[in-house]
Amino acid sequence: MRFNSIQFILISFVFLTSCDSNSSKSSSSNSEKNLINESLILPDSSSVLFPLLKKRYETIEAALSLPIPIILFQSNDSSLVKAQSLALKDKRFIENLVDKKTREAYRNEIFNIYKARPQEVSTANQNGSVYKIEMYNYALNLTTTAFVDITSNTVISVNTLPQSQPDIPTYLKDLAIQIAINHEDVIKALGYKPGEQEALMSNTKTALNNTKCERSMHLCVAPTFTVKDKALWVIVDLTDYNVVGIRWTNTGTEQKTPVRISEKKLKFDKIMECYCKAVSNLEKNDWNLNYVITTSDGLRISEVKYKDKLIINNAKIVDWHVSYSNTDGFGYSDAVGCPEFSQAAVVAVSDPKISDIIENGNTIGFALEQYFSSEQWPLPCNYNYMQRFEFYNDGRFRVAGASLGRGCGNNGTYRPVFRISMAGNENTFSQFSKNNWATWPKEQWHLQSEQDTYTPEGYLYKIENKQQQGYYIEPNRGQFKDGSRGDFAYMYITTQHLDKDEGDNDLGSIGPCCNTDYHQGPEKFIEPTPENINSTGIVIWYVPQMKNDDTKGKEYCWAESYLEHGVYKTHVYPCMAGPLFVPIKK
Amino acid sequence: MRNYILNAVIFSSLLSLVACEEKMTEDEIARIGIEPCRKPAKFISTIGFDPSKAAYSTSEQNIKGLTLIQLPASGDSIRKVYQDSSWSQYGYMSSITTDDNGNAYVAPIPFVNTLDNTLATIHTIYKVNNENGKMELFMELPKIDSIAGVNPYGILGLYYDCHGKKMYVSSVGGSTQEKENGSLYVIDIASKKIIDQLKGYDPLGLFVGGATGSKKLYFGHARTSDIYSIELSKDGTFKGKPTIELTLDGVGPRGMDKARRIRSDQYGNLLIYGIDFSYNLAAQSNKPESRYQFGYNREDKKWILMKIE
Repeated sequence: MRFNSIQFILISFVFLTSCDSNSSKSSSSNSEKNLINESLILPDSSSVLFPLLKKRYETIEAALSLPIPIILFQSNDSSLVKAQSLALKDKRFIENLVDKKTREAYRNEIFNIYKARPQEVSTANQNGSVYKIEMYNYALNLTTTAFVDITSNTVISVNTLPQSQPDIPTYLKDLAIQIAINHEDVIKALGYKPGEQEALMSNTKTALNNTKCERSMHLCVAPTFTVKDKALWVIVDLTDYNVVGIRWTNTGTEQKTPVRISEKKLKFDKIMECYCKAVSNLEKNDWNLNYVITTSDGLRISEVKYKDKLIINNAKIVDWHVSYSNTDGFGYSDAVGCPEFSQAAVVAVSDPKISDIIENGNTIGFALEQYFSSEQWPLPCNYNYMQRFEFYNDGRFRVAGASLGRGCGNNGTYRPVFRISMAGNENTFSQFSKNNWATWPKEQWHLQSEQDTYTPEGYLYKIENKQQQGYYIEPNRGQFKDGSRGDFAYMYITTQHLDKDEGDNDLGSIGPCCNTDYHQGPEKFIEPTPENINSTGIVIWYVPQMKNDDTKGKEYCWAESYLEHGVYKTHVYPCMAGPLFVPIKK
Repeated sequence: MRNYILNAVIFSSLLSLVACEEKMTEDEIARIGIEPCRKPAKFISTIGFDPSKAAYSTSEQNIKGLTLIQLPASGDSIRKVYQDSSWSQYGYMSSITTDDNGNAYVAPIPFVNTLDNTLATIHTIYKVNNENGKMELFMELPKIDSIAGVNPYGILGLYYDCHGKKMYVSSVGGSTQEKENGSLYVIDIASKKIIDQLKGYDPLGLFVGGATGSKKLYFGHARTSDIYSIELSKDGTFKGKPTIELTLDGVGPRGMDKARRIRSDQYGNLLIYGIDFSYNLAAQSNKPESRYQFGYNREDKKWILMKIE
């Protein structure tokens, strides 16, 4: 995934979280659960550019520049060469080699050519001169097969099978194993580099298992290293030439049925076990917090302390409302959350990530991020959302979220519903207006607009207790250097109730997709009789409004596919939203 | 209400133990699920649709609830869509089945979110009256316990068996990741009673057929790619325990499809419509689905994968 260049310039190092490295409170005890906990999801991992892989890229680039962009089958057998040549002359066989709009070449490769098996051809064609040619299109995940008769010089038939992959040739198997044994996480998991020490490890066997990358729809295989009664599955992506993830399984008597590890299984098992069923703790700099992926409210942080003082009870994004202006009432109310056994319409597909925030070369804080994605994103009507919590060394924090497109059209408005339950039960809430702070006496809402006035620092609201301790709230007006165009947010304040649940637990869907006014859901906790909010526990509901844009050079809340090395990649244009909380200094 | 249903189920099971089971002929069994037996609803011709070309749908884009569609015939390019005012009032719907009188039965489903249907409303079956086309409440299944971690779905399959004149209902209601709490229900549509129930399985698509020489209910398993079967008596109650009949594991473009729908062709081959299913509300613009055709080898007593489309 390639980000718009102005996005996230503050980030430097990204740390993957893991069950066992984060003071997880997981209660997993049995072996299978432990193996899941130890598995690794490796998004966008890059492989060491060893000679075989370097040569592979050269082969690809050479093929992409050919008039007929195909990595051809190499053989000294004249029959196979002739069969290939006949197939290449057939228009049906070469119909899907390039993007039909841009004419850019796809990565195509002839995987296999062999004499057709009796069951594959009719009786009339069983004369021994019929050959089958299998070609794989990496960009479209498409297999094209041709049957040719090299005696009569005819193409008997051509078939295309979408979402299918032929058996891979030996040299790709070798490449997959090389990618696996050169990967640092594989070496770390095994405790040695298998390629170098295999001969010394008499009890280690290597096999290449079939697997699927169901979500990415890439060509994947799984070199599997058996060590005693366990097997290490390494899912290698032969479209992007990287390792998708690794996972140990039991092979001994403990394992009742053989487990087949695929991309989806590896990811879903890990996310469910480590981040949906278990609360993780993060202690970094002066901050301490817990986080968990919920069934419908995204990533939820809770018990957030700064310098040992409780700041936030919990914070999350309850819903993503998406409406389209060209059709009245058309849109979606998406809950995001756990990938299985959840009310989530858009699910978590990676681990939460922790990254340092760097400014002018100095680390000034850290961020906790979580992505949620539809399976077919970035195809139209599929969605990708990101949640981001920023914690600064000076006590500031930001609760943010972004849409990464692409949705069902270029006239969409995203309205994420943030819920932030602030610590303390004697809080008051004020709004800056006409050079003064005016306290809100009762539960109410306000729409951030151009008529609002801000403090010189950019603050519009503040929440404070009786000792005037608290936070200024700085709505996003595009000042956070993240490419944002502003929040234009609805702010709702409601009382915290200990005797009834107004969103502390998972909320499901709080409101419909397509209301364009303040009816986004939180108002149901205000109306019909707003309660007094002077010196009480306070819940902040914040609903930004981000309008998407697909205009070239101005893309926003958008994603576009482009071809690189003959396969599709995604360029994202996130629209970040969310307020910054700044400690009140006396 | 729950006790009453439970008592009815126990009573029915005891009855089946003491009563002599009626035998079925080989030919009778072989025709189950193959022989056409359903009549179109009478109201269809009154709204200008051709009953022989019309079919119910619950998956029309941007239309909530049930619709009746008429596919374009040759020379007629218009695809007609009809929706009675009562067909959208209970939100999105999932599986549809029709009986031998032309009545249709549907069940609600949460679609993308739970705004229209929550656990409190999804264990309900609605009936579309054959005469006037109005949708009304048919019956409610036992309430789903809204325990922590429970999945958002309930009824995911309905199938009416003309041979035994029973409706089969699959539900994953109440299932959590830790515990498989789904059920198969056998409904007598005349009395609107649950006459048998199989607990502890999360079933999806349903079909009653006799291609193997026994009358069996086939059901897709929501947790694995397996298709189970359980033998049925002539009157449609369960006999014995479910066994794995065949599997979609490792085959097809995704390799882990679950059987959303099961039907038979005229030769007794099973047609299985497989999709990805993860107990979430993830919706895609174009959910990938594959159709798997299995033929039964009577010598080996095994289902053989013939085709994937």
